[in-house]
Amino acid sequence: MNSNKKFFLMITGIIGMVIFWISWVSMNPADEKAMTTFVSVDELINDNINRRTKLGGLVKDGSIAISKTNYLDCTFVLKEGNTELDVKYGRTRPDLFKDGVEVIVTGQYLNGVFYADELQTKCASRYEGDLRNESSYNLNEIDS
Amino acid sequence: MIDFIRDYGLILILFILPVIFALQPLFLPRIEKIHIQLDVAELKRKKLLIYRQIKELEMEYDIGNINENDFISGRATLKKEVSEVIAALKSL
Amino acid sequence: MTPIAGGVALNLAFGFSILAVITLFLHTRNGDQRLFLTGQRLALGISFFIFLATFILAFQLIQSNFDIDYVARYTSLETPFIYKISALWAGQSGSLLFWLFILSIYTTIVILQNQRKHNSLMPWVIITLVIVQIFFLILTNYVTNPFKPTDADFIVTNGNGLNPLLQNVTMVIHPPMLYLGFVGFSVPFGFAISALINGDTSPLWIQSIRRWALVAWLFLSMGIILGGWWAYRELGWGGYWAWDPVENASFMPWLTATAFIHSIIIQEKKDMLRLWNMSLIIMTFTLCIFGTFLTRSGVMSSVHSFTASSLGPIFLTFVFLIIVVSFGMMYFRRNELKSPRKMESFTSRESGFLFNNMVFVVLCFSVFWGTLFPVISEAVRGTKITVGPPFFNQMNIPIGLILLALTGIGPLLAWRKTGRKSLIRNFTFPILTGLSTATILLFVGFRGYVVISFSLGAFVTATIGTEFARGIYARRKKFDESIIKALIRMVSKNRSRYGGYVVHIGIVFMFVGFTGQAFDDEKEFSLTVGETDHVAGYTFELIQLSEAERANHYAWISDLRVTNKEGKFVTNLHPEKRIYFHNNPDPNRRQPHSELDIYTTMNQDIYSIFSGVDSENGVAFIKIMVNPLVRWVWVGGFILVFGTMVALWPRKD
Repeated sequence: MNSNKKFFLMITGIIGMVIFWISWVSMNPADEKAMTTFVSVDELINDNINRRTKLGGLVKDGSIAISKTNYLDCTFVLKEGNTELDVKYGRTRPDLFKDGVEVIVTGQYLNGVFYADELQTKCASRYEGDLRNESSYNLNEIDS
Repeated sequence: MIDFIRDYGLILILFILPVIFALQPLFLPRIEKIHIQLDVAELKRKKLLIYRQIKELEMEYDIGNINENDFISGRATLKKEVSEVIAALKSL
Repeated sequence: MTPIAGGVALNLAFGFSILAVITLFLHTRNGDQRLFLTGQRLALGISFFIFLATFILAFQLIQSNFDIDYVARYTSLETPFIYKISALWAGQSGSLLFWLFILSIYTTIVILQNQRKHNSLMPWVIITLVIVQIFFLILTNYVTNPFKPTDADFIVTNGNGLNPLLQNVTMVIHPPMLYLGFVGFSVPFGFAISALINGDTSPLWIQSIRRWALVAWLFLSMGIILGGWWAYRELGWGGYWAWDPVENASFMPWLTATAFIHSIIIQEKKDMLRLWNMSLIIMTFTLCIFGTFLTRSGVMSSVHSFTASSLGPIFLTFVFLIIVVSFGMMYFRRNELKSPRKMESFTSRESGFLFNNMVFVVLCFSVFWGTLFPVISEAVRGTKITVGPPFFNQMNIPIGLILLALTGIGPLLAWRKTGRKSLIRNFTFPILTGLSTATILLFVGFRGYVVISFSLGAFVTATIGTEFARGIYARRKKFDESIIKALIRMVSKNRSRYGGYVVHIGIVFMFVGFTGQAFDDEKEFSLTVGETDHVAGYTFELIQLSEAERANHYAWISDLRVTNKEGKFVTNLHPEKRIYFHNNPDPNRRQPHSELDIYTTMNQDIYSIFSGVDSENGVAFIKIMVNPLVRWVWVGGFILVFGTMVALWPRKD
């Protein structure tokens, strides 16, 4: 085999290995946290999906309840459209977590409750809010 | 009208000057000589580049990254190249 | 200066850019030097108008002119001065103008630097750069204009202000640094396209763009590292890289750019890998534009995303055009791109670089795949999937380690072919170092990737040490110099090479830091004053819990005393829980924020977060993370920057 052919064979071999490696990892993620399916709350409840899933929605106003025995534990109600779902979460709550914020929870659905081990809030860094209307409040206290 | 010019004078200058600056060369007579100037500069840079390459080749050989035959033939090629450039420079 | 002038400046910039392209194109057809001069000056004019527009916007921001929508959205009367300036790139339209601003700086430098050089290439270089400007000018003039007036049915007397999370120095430096990198690759790209169009393969222009590419690479590297640093210090999740789509968007061009700056050495020396180099710079530039698009389109949800907008399709079109035109040109010039020489041996330095290119591209593709997998999956299967760090880590760690190994192997290979004797002579010491490190680690009880990573790190360090030693030895044989003098002269005469080796040491340090993640430990607990808890061999006692009312926030401060296993005092940590705008009657405007406190040594970081407080009962809820070796990443970053500066240091001759 002349060196050109050897060369092309090597390249093909490498490309083959790469495609194999990437597909293999894609199909067999080692960690269950590697890939999660994003489903709607309706689907989750109707199909009673028990595998690890990700949900998105709003925190229902007034639904956040912090456990009296363990400050880290809390429950709240996730609202997507008109569907509501009870969520339990037991880790440090993000700073922005409060009534009405958009959240993404990851975890498992069992017996009517969603046990979340990840909770993310939409970051407020791109502050594309409405313009501030001064006449509605007095901001003197905020000045240094 | 005068008020307008006074208020917006700075702005007019800032906007009109670049236009004049950009269009000015179009009114010059055709330029030919510049080519030779540029060629000289280009050849000089090429000469410098080849000298650097020779020096680097010597260093590689000293370290042992290149075998003797390759070094001798490589250096010969570079030396030939640089003498061509020097000859071209002389002719200009 | 009125804001209208800003809008007009942008309009004129756009007009000039169209004229510049036409003029320069006509010049390439008939060779009339006057047209070239005019085209050049028009291009300089574009830059002038963009500078003007940028300064006008900055001025409006400083003056807090809330008649302009952009000023009202991103600043307020209370915003500190420096953040009024940085608001220039805080929002969508401003950041696009800022992109243009930086591109204009680079274009101006390129034009002025090359008035007497590369005469045949420059017209197309300028045309390419101006076309990129046209794209951004279309966006800032007609799609999202920074000078848009405020549109509200009340008088805006104060703006929204800048989110306190963004009010720290890193956020002032990180975006401009990244932009300096992203935009910087436009110049090598311009030269590459120009060379393609002209069919020019001489090494002269390659040398010029190597420096440009290296400068852009430096800025991009610094921008990425700063982003990680900021995430670690401010966001409070204890990590510095989350394989977030926007992070990936900056990492992918970095990968192809790194391959490029290596591979182009081969083209300079041996005139090989022409096809690779052309492809790599096109890919890098395309990925830079694509990255700019990913942060804006709302396609990927990410910590960073700007709100979804109409920009997405426009960017995608531009990316598509770049790919089609560039690769079309490459096909057109495929004969010129064939290298005159062939790869001769697998143990040659040339093939080492070739292999290096391939691994970088594979890594880039892997990150690309992981980033876009959710989008593809949704398009194909209809299900929405999210891909997390474990997926990326599983795919990329092996590839990264192969890269680390290559970093060590490459310099030990000779040109054309490494003889058997040389192979043994060069590789013995580094391989022994690597193997003994592995043995010790296995003996002590480490397993898996940790062992491989540290051993390869030792291997690479040994290689670099050998390289320095060989160079000094060769010099001393020839000249009578002391070791120090030989070292200095050697580095000084080969700044690229030895600067590059220093950069590699920085990379080794960073890999050591990355490997530390395998040993991260964390715990969340609650403490009242006097109570203690333990994590990773450290004891944490809550000494005091206090409160403070400050200028724009309210704070709960926890005083933690940290002692180690033997009871010896380690440090005091004071993480805080803050509420910004605490007096604001609108509860949605009150922003809680955890100000963490970190104790860092080369060995590990003790990372403390004050997650919550029950002030009635005096209970503090604390999260502690013990992260080994994190500091190695930042130290490695400094070494990387230092090495690049050595490589870039200009020579006098």
